[in-house]
Amino acid sequence: MDELLLSKVRLGVVAELLNFDWVTFTELARSLEVSNGNLGAHLTKLLDAGYVEEEKSFVNRRPLTRYRLTQEGRDAFANHVLQLQSLLKTAT
Amino acid sequence: MESIGASEARDHLEMVNRILAESHQRLCTGGEYFVVWGIGSAFVTILFQLVDRGLAPPTALWSVPLVLGACAVFSIVRGRLTRRVLQRSSLVQREFFNVLWLTLGLAFVVNVAAFRIFPGIAAAAIWSVAEAIVLLYIGMHGNRRAQVAGLLVVVSLIVANFAPPNIAGYILGAGMLVGYAGFGASELLARD
Repeated sequence: MDELLLSKVRLGVVAELLNFDWVTFTELARSLEVSNGNLGAHLTKLLDAGYVEEEKSFVNRRPLTRYRLTQEGRDAFANHVLQLQSLLKTAT
Repeated sequence: MESIGASEARDHLEMVNRILAESHQRLCTGGEYFVVWGIGSAFVTILFQLVDRGLAPPTALWSVPLVLGACAVFSIVRGRLTRRVLQRSSLVQREFFNVLWLTLGLAFVVNVAAFRIFPGIAAAAIWSVAEAIVLLYIGMHGNRRAQVAGLLVVVSLIVANFAPPNIAGYILGAGMLVGYAGFGASELLARD
């Protein structure tokens, strides 16, 4: 199993990004119901692993940070979910 | 190495399923586009039929580019206003808008630039085909109203084919109004 995705928050981030092109930090924090600090720490780990990419810009003079899933992250997610499913199957 | 148990794995999978289900919600269609283009295309189709039957003067056809132009302007302005919302849209949502603009854009070009190949009722039929493709594409993603509306447009095409030529345009126009504009209206009502 992918150790990085054993965290529920990180798995949630990857799942949130799966069907979207770019998602902002604020939207991720809102939909996953986690604090900014907590989310930031998890996103850093995903960034370091190359699972997500980050884009920083300014919209109406306000900083906007958004994230996108990389192909590596997409593959890792698919493998991880398969392994979770097989774990469940063997347990039942 | 970290590991998780079966109950935790189930919990994680349930969360993933919930997130994916929420992001796969029905396509946000922008009902107003359907209402505007449904009414516009039906107007043009019925006007051609009226002129063909001598119930409206040929000069009335000058309103056709104006109406189609107004629909196009509305779409561009509305598209610009909703651009920020679209940035948060899902990949399938973007794909849908690509299908929408490509099919309607092609139908527009056929009407404006290929009227010698598709004269009169043939041009109207092209609109119906384009509208049916858009509706059935949305229907494919689980929108039941779009499936019904798409079928209505297809039925109007088939019925118009076998109907007397002097009423075929009315049938196509009715299909556009009920199917295309009607679907847009139902989406707007559902959204509210």
